[in-house]
Amino acid sequence: MRADIESLLVAQREKQEQSFTVKPLSLTLNRRQFLKATAVGSCGLVVGISLNASANASSAKQAAEFNPNAFIHLQKDGSVLIYCGRCEMGQGISTALPSVVADEMEADWSRVTVEQAEGDQDKYGSQATGGSASIRTMYEPMRKAGAVAREMLVAAAAKVWATSPDNCYAENHFVINKTNQQKLSYGELASVAATMPTPENPTLKAKSDFRYIGSHLPRHDVSLVIQGKRQYGVDTKVDGMQYAAIVHCPVMGGTLKSVDKTEAMKVQGVTAVVEIAPMKVPFGSLGGVAVVANNSWSAQQGVEKLKVEWDRGEHGSYNTSDYMKMLVENVEKPANKITERGDVESAFANAAHKVSATYTEGHLVHAPMEPNASVVSVQDGACEVWASTQSPDDIQSVLSQFLGIDKKAIKVNVMISGGAFGRKFKCDYVQEAAAISKAVGTPIQLTWTREEDTRTGFYHSNSAQHIEASLDKDGNVTGWLHRAAFPSINTLFDPSVQFAPANAMSEVENHPYGIANLRSESGLAPAHTRIGWYRAVYAIFWGFAYGVFTDELAEKAGVDTATMLRRLYDSNSNPKQAEQVRRSRGVLDLVVAQSGYGKALPEGEGIGIAVHHSFLSYVAMAVHVRMKGDDFEVLRVDSAVDCGQVLNKDGATAQQEGAVAMGISLAKYCEVSFENGAVVNSNFHDYPVMRINDMPDVHVHFVDSDAKPTGLGEPGMAPFAPALSNAIYQASGTRYRSLPIQPMRT
Amino acid sequence: MSKTIFVNGKEYPIDVPENMPLLWFLRDRLAFTGTKFGCGKGLCGACTVHVDGQATRACVMPVTALAGRKVTTIEGLSEDASHPLQKAWLEVGVPQCGYCQAGQIMNAASLLSKNVSPTEKEIDDAMQGNICRCGTYQRIKKAINIAATELANYDLAKEVS
Repeated sequence: MRADIESLLVAQREKQEQSFTVKPLSLTLNRRQFLKATAVGSCGLVVGISLNASANASSAKQAAEFNPNAFIHLQKDGSVLIYCGRCEMGQGISTALPSVVADEMEADWSRVTVEQAEGDQDKYGSQATGGSASIRTMYEPMRKAGAVAREMLVAAAAKVWATSPDNCYAENHFVINKTNQQKLSYGELASVAATMPTPENPTLKAKSDFRYIGSHLPRHDVSLVIQGKRQYGVDTKVDGMQYAAIVHCPVMGGTLKSVDKTEAMKVQGVTAVVEIAPMKVPFGSLGGVAVVANNSWSAQQGVEKLKVEWDRGEHGSYNTSDYMKMLVENVEKPANKITERGDVESAFANAAHKVSATYTEGHLVHAPMEPNASVVSVQDGACEVWASTQSPDDIQSVLSQFLGIDKKAIKVNVMISGGAFGRKFKCDYVQEAAAISKAVGTPIQLTWTREEDTRTGFYHSNSAQHIEASLDKDGNVTGWLHRAAFPSINTLFDPSVQFAPANAMSEVENHPYGIANLRSESGLAPAHTRIGWYRAVYAIFWGFAYGVFTDELAEKAGVDTATMLRRLYDSNSNPKQAEQVRRSRGVLDLVVAQSGYGKALPEGEGIGIAVHHSFLSYVAMAVHVRMKGDDFEVLRVDSAVDCGQVLNKDGATAQQEGAVAMGISLAKYCEVSFENGAVVNSNFHDYPVMRINDMPDVHVHFVDSDAKPTGLGEPGMAPFAPALSNAIYQASGTRYRSLPIQPMRT
Repeated sequence: MSKTIFVNGKEYPIDVPENMPLLWFLRDRLAFTGTKFGCGKGLCGACTVHVDGQATRACVMPVTALAGRKVTTIEGLSEDASHPLQKAWLEVGVPQCGYCQAGQIMNAASLLSKNVSPTEKEIDDAMQGNICRCGTYQRIKKAINIAATELANYDLAKEVS
C-alpha cells in the first residue's frame, strides 16, 4: 500500500515538474481502490470481531466475517494486514495492539503490516483514545481475535492432512503436523481456513508461550518516520483542495463584531474569507474568521491582514493571577463538603503535631508538535475527513449535527497525530474545516498556526489545594482535611457548574493512604475558558499535592519519605483497597531499591520520591537533582512501574521517558496566563517547553506481574513533579509548592 | 528565465508568492511533506532542512532568497534510509509520534558533518533548537552517538543534493 502511494506521489511530482503549477495530489481514490482490490483479489482469510460500543471484553461477541474492515486480513501470499482501531498519537498503540493479535495468531511479525482503521465504532468498538484505556479494554478482545485465526488455521491444516486438530500446532506462520512434522504455511492455508467454523471460545496462550507480548518489539512505523514518509493529518493532499488559516475569537463565549477583509483579499493566492460562527456544543468551534488560499502561507498572510473586532462577552475580564488568588482563598476557608469519614475535628483537637500547606498549579496547553490540522470535503450531503484525531466518533457526531446529515455519511480517515496529549479528542478544528468546505465548495485543509493552537485550547485546569493533617506523638497520621478548587472538565458540558463535583474530587476518597478521619471539600471555581483533558488530567495536581505533602509530613514525623509512605499504606485496612496498597508499596520498594534513595549525597544534591496510582497503573519515581545556583539539573530519574502484564517493554519504557520530559516541562516552564479573557502566551518563546539539554538519564523498572495489563500513556506524569520538588527541598532547603516552580523559570 | 532552486537533486522553478518561506514551497508546492510545520517562527526546529549542507529553518527562510541553492529534505537525506543517523534511529527506536523527527535527524546530520565525535555538551548545544514534546531526547542522544561512530565509514556523497 505504501509503495502504491509512493509511486503515485512520484508520478504526481513528475507531472507537476512538467506543468509547474500548484496541483494537489490525490491519495484517496488510490487508497480506496487498493482496499477494494485487497478484499476482492488477494484476500484469503479475514477475521473480524464484533465489539459493542463499550468494548467490554467479557461481552465482546465473536464473529468471523468476510469484511474488508475486520481486524485481520491474511492473504494468500502469507502477508497479514492488521487494523488498529484505536488512534495513534505517538503512544505506540498501533504497535502494541496488533502485536497482541499477531502473538495469539502465531504470526510472524515481519509478515505483518499495520493499518489505521477508519472511524467505525460498530466494527472496531470504541475508538475514542484517551484515559490510558486502550490496552486495558482491548487486550482481551485482541487476544481472542488472534486466537480465532490461529485455531481456524490449525483446523484447516487438520482438514488438509485428514487428521485431528489436536495433532497439529501453529508456530510462527506455519501449522505443523505433530506426527510427521509436515508443515503448511499460513498463506497456503488461508483459503481453507476461511471455510472453517469460527471457534466460540478459542484457547488463549499461556504466558510462557508469548512471542511478542512482554518483549521489546520495535514500533511498526519507524522506517517511515525516518524517511519523512509517515502521513499525518497535516500532510493530507486531495484533488481540488484549498488551504485555510484561521483566527479565533480570543475569549470563550465572545462574538464577532466586525471584519474588514479588503486587505486580506489582496494577498496573492487568497480566494475567500469565511466567517465561522461559534458552534455551541462542547467540541465545536469557538468562532472565528478563516482565509482560504491556494497555499497555506498565503492563507496565513491573509489572516494577518484581516481587521477583526470582537465582542469579548461575559468572560472578557478573566485574569489568571486574580483568579489564582481567589482559588487560594477558597481553599483556605471552609468549602463544600464532598466526602467524610471518621471525625476530622476531634483528630485535629487531639493532635501531637499539625501540618498544613497550600499547593497551586497554573493552566497548561497541550502544545503537540503538530498543530491542529485536518482536511474535510463536504459535497452533496456527504462528507469525508482526514484528521489527526483521538476520537473519530466525536467527529462524526459533531459533523452530523453541524451538517445535518447522518453519521454514516461521514467517512473519517484516521491519520496519525503528531502528538495530541488530549487536545485532539476535541474536534473543533475539524468542524471549522467542514464549515469552510461547505462555504467554498472545495475540500479544505485547515492548519492552525502555533499561535492559534496556544490561544484557542481546551486548557488543563488551574488549581489550588489546601491540606491539613494531624499526627500523633508517634508520627502516625490521624486526620486529613483536603480542600481543592479547580474549574472542572464538567464545565465544558455544563457551564453552570461552579464547584468541582464529586466525580472530579474522587481522588481524595480513593487515595490508598489509610487515614481514619478524612474530609474533602470543593471550593468555588467557575470556568472562564474551555477546560479539557490534558495528559494525566487531574492526576497532575493531585499527585503533586499528595507527593509534596507526604514529604512535609515525613519531615514533621522525623522519618524519611519512604518510611512515611509505607506507614500511610500499611495503616489502610480497607479490604477494597488492599490491591492498591500492595501495588503502591511494590513500586515504592522497587524505586527505593533501584535509585539509591537514602544514600549519602554531595552537598547541593538530593533525591526525592513520590508514588501515584492513576488510570489503574502504579508509578513511583525517584528524582536526583543537583543545584546550580538558583537553577537545578535533573541528573537521573528512576521510574518503577506496575501496569500488570507489560505488552511492549520498549513502548512502555518510552512512555515513562516521555512522562519525565513532559513532567520537566510542566514543573519548570509551562503556564498559560490569561488577561482580559484572552491567552497571553503565543508560541514556544513565551510558552517554553523542555529541550534536550534538560533531559536526564531515565531508568525504568517494571514490576513482574501477571495482573491484567493497564495503560501507561498518562500514569508516569503524576509522580515526577512532586519527586522533583522533594529532591530540590533536600538539596537546597527550599520548598516549592507551586507549579511551575516560578523562581527557576528562564 | 525564472529563478530556480534544487531540491533533493532536482531543479524546480521558484514560481510562488514573494516571501513564501521555503517550508511552504516544499510542502504545498512540491508535496515534500516530510518537512514539518511546528511554529512558523524558527523556534522548534520541526522544519529543519539543509541548504548547501547547512541546517536551516525552512519556516523562516524565504524561498526567493535561495535561487540556485541546493536544498536537501528528509526525503533526500539518503535514497534508502541508509544514512548512519537513519540506521541509528531505527536501531534505537527513537520516534514516538515522529512529527519532529525529520527536523531532529536533519539537524543532527548537519552537526555530524562538522563534528564527527561530538561530546554530550556539543550534542546538547547543537540540538537545543529542536523540540520534541513526546520526550525522545534520551534516545536522540543515544542514536547520535551510535551514528557518530559509524559515520567514519559512511560515504557522505550518498546525500542527494
